[in-house]
Amino acid sequence: MFKNNKYPKALLLTTAVGAASLGMSLQAHADQYSDAAEKWVSEEFATSTLSKEEQLKEMAWFTEAAKQFRGMEINVVSETIATHEYESNVLAKAFTDITGIKVNHNLIQEGDVIEKLQTQMQSGRNIFDGFINDSDLIGTHYRYGQVVPISDMIEGDAKDLTLPTLDLEDFIGLDFTTAPDGKIYQLPTQQFANLYWFRADWFEREDLKAQFKERYGYDLGVPVNWSAYEDIAEFFSVHVKEIDGERVYGHMDYGKKDPSLGWRFTDAWFSMAGGGDKGLPNGLPVDEWGIRVEDCRPVGSSVTRGGATNAPPAVYATQKYVDWLRKYAPPEAQGMTFSEAGPVPAQGNIAQQIFWYTAFTASMNKEGLPVVNADGTPKWRMAPSPKGPYWEEGMKLGYQDVGSWTFMKSTPKERRLAAWLYAQFTVAKTVSLKKTLVGLTPIRDSDIRSEAMTDAAPKLGGLVEFYRSPARVQWSPTGTNVPDYPKLAQLWWQYIAQAASGERTPQQALDGLAEAQDKIMERLERANVQDICGPKLNEPREASYWLDQPGSPKAKLVNEKPQGVTVAYEELLKSWEQTE
Amino acid sequence: MNMNKRKGFGITAYIILLMLPIYWLLNMSFKTNQEILGQLTFFPQNFTLANYATIFTDPSWYSGYINSMIYVSINVVITLLVALPAAYAFSRYKFVGDKHLFFWLLSNRMAPPAVFLLPFFQLYSSIGLFDTHIAVALAHCLFNVPLAVWILEGFISGVPKEYDEMAYIDGYSFPKFFVKIFIPMIRSGIGVAAFFAFMFSWVELLLARTLTSVDAQPIGAIMTRTMGASGIDWGVLAAAGVLTILPGLLVVWFVRNHIATGFALGRV
Repeated sequence: MFKNNKYPKALLLTTAVGAASLGMSLQAHADQYSDAAEKWVSEEFATSTLSKEEQLKEMAWFTEAAKQFRGMEINVVSETIATHEYESNVLAKAFTDITGIKVNHNLIQEGDVIEKLQTQMQSGRNIFDGFINDSDLIGTHYRYGQVVPISDMIEGDAKDLTLPTLDLEDFIGLDFTTAPDGKIYQLPTQQFANLYWFRADWFEREDLKAQFKERYGYDLGVPVNWSAYEDIAEFFSVHVKEIDGERVYGHMDYGKKDPSLGWRFTDAWFSMAGGGDKGLPNGLPVDEWGIRVEDCRPVGSSVTRGGATNAPPAVYATQKYVDWLRKYAPPEAQGMTFSEAGPVPAQGNIAQQIFWYTAFTASMNKEGLPVVNADGTPKWRMAPSPKGPYWEEGMKLGYQDVGSWTFMKSTPKERRLAAWLYAQFTVAKTVSLKKTLVGLTPIRDSDIRSEAMTDAAPKLGGLVEFYRSPARVQWSPTGTNVPDYPKLAQLWWQYIAQAASGERTPQQALDGLAEAQDKIMERLERANVQDICGPKLNEPREASYWLDQPGSPKAKLVNEKPQGVTVAYEELLKSWEQTE
Repeated sequence: MNMNKRKGFGITAYIILLMLPIYWLLNMSFKTNQEILGQLTFFPQNFTLANYATIFTDPSWYSGYINSMIYVSINVVITLLVALPAAYAFSRYKFVGDKHLFFWLLSNRMAPPAVFLLPFFQLYSSIGLFDTHIAVALAHCLFNVPLAVWILEGFISGVPKEYDEMAYIDGYSFPKFFVKIFIPMIRSGIGVAAFFAFMFSWVELLLARTLTSVDAQPIGAIMTRTMGASGIDWGVLAAAGVLTILPGLLVVWFVRNHIATGFALGRV
């Protein structure tokens, strides 16, 4: 009897102590997360467009929203650039401290990311809970129906897990991740553009300016069209030849038979020449790849099917690529890949480059480089890409890379939602300005217009000015006309290499490419693997039928080299400011 | 004398030729990227250990080495455990189809690993082995077990059958004989088989990369992160390369006296 009495008491006591300690540990946890938020906000994310109170409020929201996922471990993957390294090394840690969700943000090269993504798509088995995938795959994602559109998530299962201050309107790349069905498929987390790059210090030299004017009859300056670019390339490579005793070149490029040769073209090279139709972010019905769509269905890329992959503007663009590489670039450029050629302008022998990624900004303004002044400001500037003779107002003018969060239907819901929280964290206003300053790949309008960016501008050679200008909308990623980016993109380098090596003429190489693209699309049509807007090829007919119609494919111009036009860099900046 | 001199010169030239790429790798690993891309230098001008520091201080880097070593070790152990009895059987017993089976083993090695990629991926992820060390180790067994059987069979056939019989007469049970007498006699063969299994598993990337994502990611897959949209991080890549050579060097050191026999599949 005595014993029995004691037993419940002991039980009660234990329960009480247990409950108390549990409560205390919960308390401790709550403090632990808010302490972490406080620490991260004041130490790491001090530079922000939000006030500290607003930042802490955002962080508190993350702590609260993540409660149900606490202790979970999620895996996400991205390619390697400075921005993603920052996410992986800093933001993932901060997120873990603030929410209790452990994140492995894996970095591998872009080709491997695509491979993992394709494996997950084809097998339906979860490999990563979130991918950072370039928005070039938007056409692929919305057709295959394997991606959960983020706009569906926001309205659906992630309704309570979407940051109230996410502010989608603030993202400058949202157009690029929106499919024809109006849904947003991916959430941008980094962006960089492909611009014209030149040595402003050389372009300012009086002797060179006089020499150029005498020879070409107009001023040396930022080329507005390809004719001027060609003249300047010739000027430096053939006529100036040496500056301060060093051999200099008026052009830099690469030409090795290598997958990276494909990007050189699929990243909007044809649109810079004027291939494709008008329309932003991408030409419609024919885009810069030369793929025509009718009602969102790709109908062909050969001219005979109404496409423009082998149309005169594309041939012209390829011809110019080959000619300039051979005539004006350093001889070793012919045998280089993208990553070998990229750092070359930083070595100080290149006067200008028509196809230059702003991702190189950070590596080109390191102190001690021949292209950087003693005070740390760059001797170079970036400017809008010059336009080819086929280009018309209303067309896109260049490429923009938009790495975006992408979530697959094959990922278990819990894991996908936890990854969604992390994704939002990496782009939240609390952290995004700091991230932009580290990686120089802006995604938010509010960051671009911030004072911190104004302060950083002098060292960035025009990056800030470019992103503040209204002209930036002319730079866009691959669009929705491309039905299967991985399958089609890999064709390009193999055919372009034939032209680069001189084995075939540009026309022959592009005929081959267009045919190969049509074949792949034909196969997609036959296999009927795409849920919506799958290819439905036109029957081939006389090329002249299509060339005679208005718009793309455009017929060959009689004069492909109009008078060169240049503009002074300062004038250019002013024109940007005025239209603001 | 003259002859010796000429021989010495030839060997020196040969070794220099062989070592040049490795020296270059080592050289690059101690340079900054700026120096690597800026000028041609035969010694690091600004000697730096920063590239190695990057690898040794970042868990996502060095865990690649740990992962690789774990699955390679598991693979070597499994390979030997399976191949030893098999090789013994092929050497000592006659059974129906033994020759065919023996040859069929080797034909496993004739298919390129890429052929097995998707089937393996499907299989492993459906039984929950995806992204585990054991998955990669098992996948590599497909290629290593046949090779090890072939190598060991050669070594075992080199041991006269009379040993087995003598041990039996002396009252040894079979397991005791196998472990106490037989294995020590072919230990160099075991070393060589382990070496080949190690080598294959250590450098194989295709399967290892496809069957893993985070927890068992091999160093080869992690190395690709040095290639990004803003160029290649040559210094770190070179340092990682140097570090991948080291374990191989160590293993080669241990079996250096037996490798030639191994290449002859044990038939001396």
